[in-house]
Amino acid sequence: MGRRHRLMVVDDELIVRESLAAWLEKEAAVVDKAESGAHALALLEQHFYDILFVDIKMPGMDGFALLEKVKENFPTTLVVIITAYGTVEHAVQAMRLGANDFLVKPFDPDGLGLMLAKLLEHKRLLEEAQYLRSEVNRCWAAPDEIIGVSAPMVELFRTIQEVSASDSSILILGETGTGKELIARAIHASSKRIGGPFVPINCGAIPESLIESEIFGFEKGSFTGAIRPKKGLIEVAEGGTLFLDEVGEISPKMQVDLLRILQDRVFYRVGGVDPIRADFRLISATHRDLNQAIVQGNFRQDFFYRINVITLRIPPLRERRDDIPPLAEHFVRRFARETNRDVDAIDHRAMQILVGYDWPGNIRELENVVERAVVTARKRVLTAEAFDYLQPAAGGVTDGRGPRSLHEAEIAHIRRVLDEEGWNISHAAKVLEVDRTTLHKKLRKYDLHPSEKL
Amino acid sequence: MKKKKEQPPSANKGLISVVPLGKVGPDVIRVVSDSLQGILRVPVDVEEETIIPQDAFMEGRNQYNAMTVIKFLANDRPHKSLKVLGVTQKDLCNPILTYVFGEAYMGGSAAVMSCHRLYTDQTGEPVSREQFLDRVVKVALHEIGHTFNIAHCHTDRCVMRASNSLMDLDSKLNYLCPYCELFLFDALRAALQ
Repeated sequence: MGRRHRLMVVDDELIVRESLAAWLEKEAAVVDKAESGAHALALLEQHFYDILFVDIKMPGMDGFALLEKVKENFPTTLVVIITAYGTVEHAVQAMRLGANDFLVKPFDPDGLGLMLAKLLEHKRLLEEAQYLRSEVNRCWAAPDEIIGVSAPMVELFRTIQEVSASDSSILILGETGTGKELIARAIHASSKRIGGPFVPINCGAIPESLIESEIFGFEKGSFTGAIRPKKGLIEVAEGGTLFLDEVGEISPKMQVDLLRILQDRVFYRVGGVDPIRADFRLISATHRDLNQAIVQGNFRQDFFYRINVITLRIPPLRERRDDIPPLAEHFVRRFARETNRDVDAIDHRAMQILVGYDWPGNIRELENVVERAVVTARKRVLTAEAFDYLQPAAGGVTDGRGPRSLHEAEIAHIRRVLDEEGWNISHAAKVLEVDRTTLHKKLRKYDLHPSEKL
Repeated sequence: MKKKKEQPPSANKGLISVVPLGKVGPDVIRVVSDSLQGILRVPVDVEEETIIPQDAFMEGRNQYNAMTVIKFLANDRPHKSLKVLGVTQKDLCNPILTYVFGEAYMGGSAAVMSCHRLYTDQTGEPVSREQFLDRVVKVALHEIGHTFNIAHCHTDRCVMRASNSLMDLDSKLNYLCPYCELFLFDALRAALQ
């Protein structure tokens, strides 16, 4: 055995519990004993078990009933059914209910040893596969690996498949923490450029003075410290995808340079005179309103059109609450594995809190909240206590930090004043310093009703 | 890990005792006690022959329940040593296993081993006396190892490797790997303090 496994023997007969536990303990495993199905379930709530050895015939909850409950609530725990009355029917029924193996008392010691080794190897492979899958996902997120069951995400996945085939530039819009880079990686992974590199550049993180040499590279001697030539990220991305994150932060000068590359498909290293052919697909992303930036003169319209051949908008988490449960469960599994904690579920009330919260920080915030809950968890199931500090959303517009947009602020403010004034339109209009007609128009526009009061 | 011979933790008398349970060949008892003394480097006593408890007999299986024998050795007879190893010619099993070569609780004070299945090879042909005694030493050492809380080992051919068949038993060596030896001497030292 590599790591110390935790096993449980569930049998109403003390002598069987003792004999089997004694045998298993010699394999350097932690072995717990339960005399009934109910006791076993109570222990399962407290610890993570690799394998359960369950006797079929027990008073109260029998082995089959326990097997069904374990498979339903603790699916990663393997179950071996034991019986002294071994019949083919018992074996078939046990396997049909999801048992991982079947033993007839008394067992051949060689057979028991081989079965244990086989099950632990199976367990190790499952854990390894899970780990490797998550590692691969971190590098190449395929669309079917991005979690999303809500209508907007299903639509987004369909669009990703459509746009992946072309080489057109894509602009991904979405609030902070919605997973823009993950979507960009998914597009890359679905495209014909999958054999090439995916090169992400966070334009907001690289200082203005360095971004030029980072993106275009430089020739030896082009500036102090350029002791040898260096490839820029555009060259590195050859044959692949260049992902410009936070493209709204790019300086006007860099916008001009990038625009030229996108038009001519050639570029020059800093200090270089030889044109270098650029062969990459551009995907950009921003959480900023670029139309407004264009109006304010901070973003070039021609550059905007060039990077915005196709627009993908990732809805914020509060607009796709159906995705919160699968995302939260995914993060529980991930952090339980990464932090080696025995946590594998979120109970109903806790999930209600998560679904009700507005998530201004989107998936990244959910990720952090779940990580915190997993790290501080004392039981296998996360309860509402772990998320009590998250205030439920008030009418979908406030989140403790207040409304994010002007539009949301207006709705929240009107509703608050109406609530304070008992939905008396005249009084509320007076407080808001608008006339009643204007307030009525606003109520119709935002579809506000007294019943929405929280 | 480089193999380094440990010094015996103590020269106390009778740290381990070997008890013949019924008629057992004197050469068997001698090889068990000499091997334990030589390999573990602790004093080993040979006690008087005693009868295997009849309540350990499982009529339906015509075998003796090793767990019952261990409890008898640990509880129902005067303690003369830190650990006791019973040796019998009877076939041993336990409630869940069809047979055992030997049995011990992890960290327990008693262990038991049987010679019954060690005389022949997988096909039932008798093996040489030398091979038989080599098997006896391995089972004795293995079970006494468990009483010092040494779990099954996965290092090469260490005697603490699990052996559920004669083939497994024959393929391992009759001494502890450097890791198990270290753990055993740590356990001996702790037990003597």
